[in-house]
Amino acid sequence: MANLETQVLDDIIVKGRRKLLTLGSAALAGLVLGGTKEAKAATAYTDADILNFALNLEYLEANFYYLAAFGCTIDAPNAAAIAAGAPSGGIPISSSSFVGTPGGPVSKTGANMVNFTGQTAIGAYATETAIEEGKHVLFLQGALSSAAVAQPLINLTTAWQMLGSALTPSAPTFSPYASANAFLLGAYVFEDVGVTAYHGAASLLTVSGNLSAAAGILGVEAYHAGLIRTTITNIDPTATGIGATAVSISNLRATLSKAGLLGSTTVPINDTNPDDLGPSPVAVTLAGMTGYTSTKIVDCDATNSIAFARNTTQVLNIVTGGGAVNGTTQVTPAKGIFFTNGMNAGPNGFK
Amino acid sequence: MDSRLKPFIDKALSRRTFLAGAGSVAAAGIITGCSNDGVTNTTPPPTGTYTDLDILNFALNLEYLEAQFYLYAATGKGLAAANTAAPTGYTGSYTMGTVTLGNSAMVAGTTSAQQQIINEIASEEQEHVQFLRAALGTAAVPMPSIDLSFFGPLAVAAGIFTSAQPAFNPYSSFDAFLIGAFIFEDVGVTAYAGAAPLISAAGVASGLLNYAAGILAVEAYHAAYIRTALTGRAISMGATTPTSTVYPYVGIANQVEALRATLTVGNSGAPGTSNTGNTGVAGSSGSVEVPLNVPQSPTQASAIVAADSVHAIGFARNVNQVHHIVYGSPTVGVKSGGFFPNGTNSIFSTTTA
Repeated sequence: MANLETQVLDDIIVKGRRKLLTLGSAALAGLVLGGTKEAKAATAYTDADILNFALNLEYLEANFYYLAAFGCTIDAPNAAAIAAGAPSGGIPISSSSFVGTPGGPVSKTGANMVNFTGQTAIGAYATETAIEEGKHVLFLQGALSSAAVAQPLINLTTAWQMLGSALTPSAPTFSPYASANAFLLGAYVFEDVGVTAYHGAASLLTVSGNLSAAAGILGVEAYHAGLIRTTITNIDPTATGIGATAVSISNLRATLSKAGLLGSTTVPINDTNPDDLGPSPVAVTLAGMTGYTSTKIVDCDATNSIAFARNTTQVLNIVTGGGAVNGTTQVTPAKGIFFTNGMNAGPNGFK
Repeated sequence: MDSRLKPFIDKALSRRTFLAGAGSVAAAGIITGCSNDGVTNTTPPPTGTYTDLDILNFALNLEYLEAQFYLYAATGKGLAAANTAAPTGYTGSYTMGTVTLGNSAMVAGTTSAQQQIINEIASEEQEHVQFLRAALGTAAVPMPSIDLSFFGPLAVAAGIFTSAQPAFNPYSSFDAFLIGAFIFEDVGVTAYAGAAPLISAAGVASGLLNYAAGILAVEAYHAAYIRTALTGRAISMGATTPTSTVYPYVGIANQVEALRATLTVGNSGAPGTSNTGNTGVAGSSGSVEVPLNVPQSPTQASAIVAADSVHAIGFARNVNQVHHIVYGSPTVGVKSGGFFPNGTNSIFSTTTA
């Protein structure tokens, strides 16, 4: 039943902008919101499918931050992690009640823990974020109960070099564990994507409590993203160093996201394309006066200052490095880069 | 009741007595909700009769406030008249108000990098005003009267300054600006989180939820900026505690949080009385405030994110709780005051229990 409802809902959302145009009369017509959205076809997903999609992303994020901050994976009890607020027994990544193929603990090669000596602030941010992402994993597992998926096979080692090779300019030896600044770039890869994923999912959820939770996590992901972009901007306000690398990451995400539209020239509601703007200064008009220069802490569209939203295929194509799309054909399961064998999707879930 | 909150509430009650005794009309108005402009009204808002347009107009009131604060901070000028007047064809009863500054506008003594972040937030809040007005069309309410001099009495109520000291001016320095912004930003996040689930199924279908969620995210980016700047500046200046004399602004921000908690805890109100899924919800005694800290080592977690400690899920406030904050009053039945001397232009403008 829920499948049918969400399908209908998604179909309605497709036509949503036109309705708002009616509501907003001629005034809204002046807004440049991008093209008319054509939703991806056949979206027959339950709330559980959507939350499991989020759980896959949280497994990925939590493990990255745990490795960076504590040098351990989320399932491994670690004194430093426990002292900072992690559960004493580690975070479960598989059990007999979990769905999907367990990928086992994330493998480590060499030292993953970042040396934050002399970088108290950035280290503290990594520690905070690790604990919070771990809590998101636990929350979603609890909310999904026996429908929760196990942690899939996740690559947080060589995936970074694959990703670095795809950047312009290429950075084939990139490792987010090499320094505090490198860690910021690694975090940058994930955080804005989390925002767009929860944003895109919010309108698909049918249970009010799930929506509230998703909205709450959306807020937290945006806090994280704001934290990372603020720190990068403070270090490199002109975006010539690590700021420039962040911009190239945004550009790559925008390209992968666009491919995730599967050849459609249309974009999700109120989005533009490219749907990702790096932390490089921009010109703005304030109180009717031009000539002001603004930072770009917030990853949002330039016209309405509303954060971007992505559908699941767009998100999958980013986190698999293009593995979700072959030309204009969707590839299932999407796999690559961080998700070696794809996500653990559950019976009806996103692949 | 969470035992940690008891001292805050006791403090608020005792401060109310103290301020009333001090005879400061403005300061007493903050806490008692009986300022010159305040009119008490025991009639609760029309529970259950609100529309999606009412929700968006509530948000628009908050965006007017934020946009004016940041635009004056960035440029010394406010929203253009075209962005504050009632739209052509508006048939509602609300009228356009004025902005009271009370302080010299534009933040003083900023570096280029600091000025650019003020510019960014100003730009984005300005665009939110424009966007919501466009989305609402002829239903968009005009800007209500906004009193930016309320930062002074608010700082007194928070215990940051005494009423004998010069009024707190959020434009006096970059750090003062951060405190001024801090008052709004986490509140904006929670207001949108609280409003999102109120949007009707038809509103979800027409994209309103998507817009609300998108603006929620932007407000959270802003809040993160402010909290990161306060935390980072404290660390870089060698502060060892939030109240360290080398950088006291983290502690001041926490005083603002404590005041917000006294203004809202226990206030449920309608609409939105249903549980919004997070702690600190309607009728809850739990605080939705997360005090900032000053980490002393990389392995000590910072407190940038305002989220619940168990699940790391962002908080929500309902329309009533938000009104208690922006009016600076925990009192029930108040329909104006604080930053909105004539009330918000909203059907939710009267505070409830």
